[in-house]
Amino acid sequence: RWRRAAPRTGRGGAGRGAAPGGGGGSAVMPARRSRPRRALARAPARASRTEAAWREFASSFTRTGMVPPAEPGLVAVEAAEACRTLRAPHRLTARSVLQALTFTGKCRLRCLYGAVRLLGFAVASHHPGLPVFSPATHCALSLEALPGARPPAADLRQLQRRPPLSAPRPWPHTHPALSSNFTPEDAVLASVGIVKCSPDNGLQVSESTCLALEELIQACCDEGIPVVLVCGPKNTGKSTFNRYLINLLLNHLPVVEYMECDIGQAEFTPPGCVSLSSVTEPVLGPPYTHQQMPHKVVYYGQTSCEQDTERYLDVVKYVFSCCKKEVPLVINTMGWVKGDGLLLLIDLIRLLSPSHIVQMDLCDWEAMPPLTPDHVHFSAGLHTKGKQQSKCKQLGLGDLESWKYPEGEDMSAPQHKLLYVNPEFPRAGAAVHSGILHDMSILGYLGHLQSPDIGAVLPLHCLVPYQVPFNAVALRVIHTDVAPSNIMYAVNASWVGLCCIPEEVRCQTDGPVLLTQTPICDCLGFGIVRGVDVEKKLYHILTPVPPENLRLVNCLLLGNIAIPECVLVGQQGIEGEIPYVTSDYNYSIVGSGKLRKNKQHLLKRKECDYA
Amino acid sequence: MAARAGTASPRGRPSASPARRRLKPLRTVVAWRGRAEWDQVMVGLYCGDSRLQQGALDRVSAWKSRYGSKMPLAVDCTAELIRCKVLDSSGRLKSHELILSYGLALVRFVNLITERKQKTVRLPLRQLAREVGIPVWVVDLRHELTHGKLPRLALCRKGCDVVLDWLRKMYWNRQLGNNLCEKDEDEKQEQEEVEANAELNSDAWVIQTPQHAACQKHKEFHEKVRDVLISYKNEQFRVMETVSKSRELWFDSSSEVDWILAQIKDLMQENRVAVAEALLSDGFLIPKMDCLKMLNIKYEANKEVWQFKIPPIFYCFWQPLLSGLLSRNFTQILIEKMFMELRECSDSSELRPQFLINWISELLTGIAKVNAGKKKQLCNKQESVKELFLHKVPLQWIRVTDSCLQAPCWATPHLLQMILTIMRPRLSRSSRKNLLYLASIYTEGGPPPLSSPGLSSDSSEQPIYTIESLQWRARQENQVKNQGQIVEKEENVPERDNGVEEVEEEEEEMVTETNPLEGLGHSGTMVAIAEKRAALQGSAWQITADEVRWKDFPLGKLPGQTDDPDGLMLDNYSMMSLLDQPVREEWKSLNTNSAELNIPVTGGLLWTQNDFYKIKSGLQLF
Repeated sequence: RWRRAAPRTGRGGAGRGAAPGGGGGSAVMPARRSRPRRALARAPARASRTEAAWREFASSFTRTGMVPPAEPGLVAVEAAEACRTLRAPHRLTARSVLQALTFTGKCRLRCLYGAVRLLGFAVASHHPGLPVFSPATHCALSLEALPGARPPAADLRQLQRRPPLSAPRPWPHTHPALSSNFTPEDAVLASVGIVKCSPDNGLQVSESTCLALEELIQACCDEGIPVVLVCGPKNTGKSTFNRYLINLLLNHLPVVEYMECDIGQAEFTPPGCVSLSSVTEPVLGPPYTHQQMPHKVVYYGQTSCEQDTERYLDVVKYVFSCCKKEVPLVINTMGWVKGDGLLLLIDLIRLLSPSHIVQMDLCDWEAMPPLTPDHVHFSAGLHTKGKQQSKCKQLGLGDLESWKYPEGEDMSAPQHKLLYVNPEFPRAGAAVHSGILHDMSILGYLGHLQSPDIGAVLPLHCLVPYQVPFNAVALRVIHTDVAPSNIMYAVNASWVGLCCIPEEVRCQTDGPVLLTQTPICDCLGFGIVRGVDVEKKLYHILTPVPPENLRLVNCLLLGNIAIPECVLVGQQGIEGEIPYVTSDYNYSIVGSGKLRKNKQHLLKRKECDYA
Repeated sequence: MAARAGTASPRGRPSASPARRRLKPLRTVVAWRGRAEWDQVMVGLYCGDSRLQQGALDRVSAWKSRYGSKMPLAVDCTAELIRCKVLDSSGRLKSHELILSYGLALVRFVNLITERKQKTVRLPLRQLAREVGIPVWVVDLRHELTHGKLPRLALCRKGCDVVLDWLRKMYWNRQLGNNLCEKDEDEKQEQEEVEANAELNSDAWVIQTPQHAACQKHKEFHEKVRDVLISYKNEQFRVMETVSKSRELWFDSSSEVDWILAQIKDLMQENRVAVAEALLSDGFLIPKMDCLKMLNIKYEANKEVWQFKIPPIFYCFWQPLLSGLLSRNFTQILIEKMFMELRECSDSSELRPQFLINWISELLTGIAKVNAGKKKQLCNKQESVKELFLHKVPLQWIRVTDSCLQAPCWATPHLLQMILTIMRPRLSRSSRKNLLYLASIYTEGGPPPLSSPGLSSDSSEQPIYTIESLQWRARQENQVKNQGQIVEKEENVPERDNGVEEVEEEEEEMVTETNPLEGLGHSGTMVAIAEKRAALQGSAWQITADEVRWKDFPLGKLPGQTDDPDGLMLDNYSMMSLLDQPVREEWKSLNTNSAELNIPVTGGLLWTQNDFYKIKSGLQLF
């Protein structure tokens, strides 16, 4: 029923720079349909003869002149398209004769023979099908053949008995800006949902990156349990570096801990969270393709932290305290490294005391000074003081005692190692506005609301929500002061964090319970308040949080993060007005826009300096 | 249908041409539930009663939470200024404190509003303020507040009032007022400037000179359009004279006509409405007597003599021009304009209303033909050449209906009948009937023969007295008829002309796609729901009872809930404080003065909005 087999004969080196024989791939398609089957049918079951069969299969392509003869080194991969329309009858396989296949698109990939490397992760034949996402908006993924060690030959029959690859999770909504992302064109690869693109679009590992990675792998595998903090300005490829590093480490270790301190572009969660996750699966795609709930999440409630850096540090501290430090820890930080951002970063470094700091910078020394141990040691942070100043502080301002960070440790603070990286990534997230990426993560998370067995996507407003009485969950609006009388109005049709506070929510009446402070507490997931029933005093909430966790939720936090517009605007089949949606709002009228951060401030200031 | 746009915006699709992008009105998410709430808040803010003002401010605080960082500047500024006024009238603050409050609100207003106008080359504040019509003395006041001596309270109060007035005129009264919101995100910037200038013109509050200049500009533009139209007329007359066989030959439009057409299209880019106005001014689409004579058309005052048709020769005279101009947007504008003109006419037997009615009728007929999607019959080539429309024109039919109803005359029942027939999505049968019936009663023509049956059965329902209640009724009916509509849409699919309406077709697909799912999803998820219900046993969380048809209710609305946001207001609630959490708020309010100012601020001394808000919220009682 499902056809497979895609021999991939490669020379197996690091494939960069070699000009691939482009058209070869597309010509193969008709042959592939018939030949693989016969090859498989004839293939002997014994391991020693397996390779011969693959080789025979591969050379059949060469004989027909569709593929240039290649050196030994054999890899076969299978990829399956996830698209609904193609699912049943067209479970096709992709093959590539190139050394490295850089592609965009999405598929589920399994290695049948040999080994390939995908964003640092070595995929061998014992791995189950991996979901692979490579949208055009991000750095394209490259599939490289891994040379050397023959893997234990797989039994072809066994392979055949494996269940066919299933489609990745359906997408809840098509985001207007990204709907054209996955447009397969190339005839061969299109059938599995991917498009070949120039190797230049793929990850370019610079020399400094390579050195840093080698050092980090060494540190993880030999020396112990490093804490790696990755920092640098926006769009320097921090996330891509992190993914690459995690994937590389997963080749050697079963699990890597990952702490997300970038509340704007979180890797595993919707925006606005600080989280700690144990990563066991390779990360092969942008954040919105692998939304999951890490084991420790705190909802900060905003995509930037300038307005409340104290709470941000408290949150980071809380999450970090949950880290057991039994496996290597990779920490991602925000791209805000100018002004207060840099000071905050120094606070963070003091707080987290990493063993390695990877500083990414585009040869632009103005953006941030090198964070050498000395620099971190002596310069003041936003809320902490440098070494010398800290003494003055202790003498002078006694009343600030309650608000200090472990300064005692400063003296004996472990010296970190600074790894300076000059990336050559094609600029990572730069192609898409950050707001769209936020929306995509939220949509990716909401995708868990769709039941996988139906295969089609139901609009959110059609789903049956949960309900919970007002007095069973406490409510708090973070970052904005909303008059209590209007709080239900604010919470209606909003994005809320479903949290768990240790204290019992006690209430004599059946009215809602409002918290007086913003708690720092575990967040178990997110939901949309589908409606508020003031009469029956019930919240109706749509959330993918599993019921066993949902029982624990006793606090709703309402942050400044909005439901993606397309969710509200795209509600089908509603007659009459959709609340909160209008086509009458005219943005061209003075004052209709939002407060914009004006970069011209800086521009002017600079000009003045020169003048 | 197009107004009911789905998720699939044409944005980002490679096939979408810029022209196509404009087809749909941009639908955005706002903080308020609907128009009524917006009005309510505006009235609340601007009324003199501080209790009502406080209520409106509370609502704005909820808007702020809903909007996140996207809160419109003008709303924010208005709320800040009103807050000062409420504080002032409460009598709880001394004058110095009030000056500080007013001062910050004023400074923020001037800076925030003008900063958005700032270009790459930095312009002086005064100039920017003049551009948007803020009095110069307010800018001076800002300067005094930030750099000079603190002004007197009276001046601050006066500044506040003037600025609030400006905000009402420039923002509140304009916003949501007109539907001309079809700009793409990217174009907003450029449009903003153009329109901001244009906006000034219509505002009496602005200094005299620019207004005058704009008036002049409009006049000149009008003249330009007229000139081009006159040249078109002359060209057509010339053709008519040279080729005595007359009208058939007009269809092979000469290169001269093509050139004129291009000119008008250019002008249309600039201002569609003005082109429509010019077309409908005397001497063009509405002919003068001498013109009729030249074309040998006999005019009679008897109103039904032409049977809702433009005399053929006159039709052929204008057809080449119109078929070139009638894009979707322009058709909408032109028809609405025609109805508006019709409303102005007092005596319906005159030439002008006659032609207006007949033109509307012709346009609607043309739309009906092309929208019905009948393939052009090749054998009848001449016929198809005569058509006004080559492509489908999905209009905003509700608006067309509205404008039709606003211009009642003897022909209204007929026109309304046409509109209701062409209109997609259709109104329900009964509301169509009722509308027609009402229209005919109003225009004293008696019920038209078409709609008489079945009336008695519906008349038992609530009486309809005004247009508003009529529209309300139509909407209600619409909701009920949801199912039927989808079926209708599906039927339309095979008739569609493939190449033309990509966007629409996609929507169509989405409808048909989701439709079969509804049943499937329901049965498929039942098992899952039962499992979840079992897992939640004994917990406060439950699965909502399943007899609700959720798909009929948009997010944020529950069965039985009205659109009135007051239904969500809370009277009683209990507060809960947490023991082992940092009590940051208190700490801050005690030490703000000493601690925060000690920290060197690298980004300048500008207070952020949040700082400002916190300071104020400390002063105010909810």
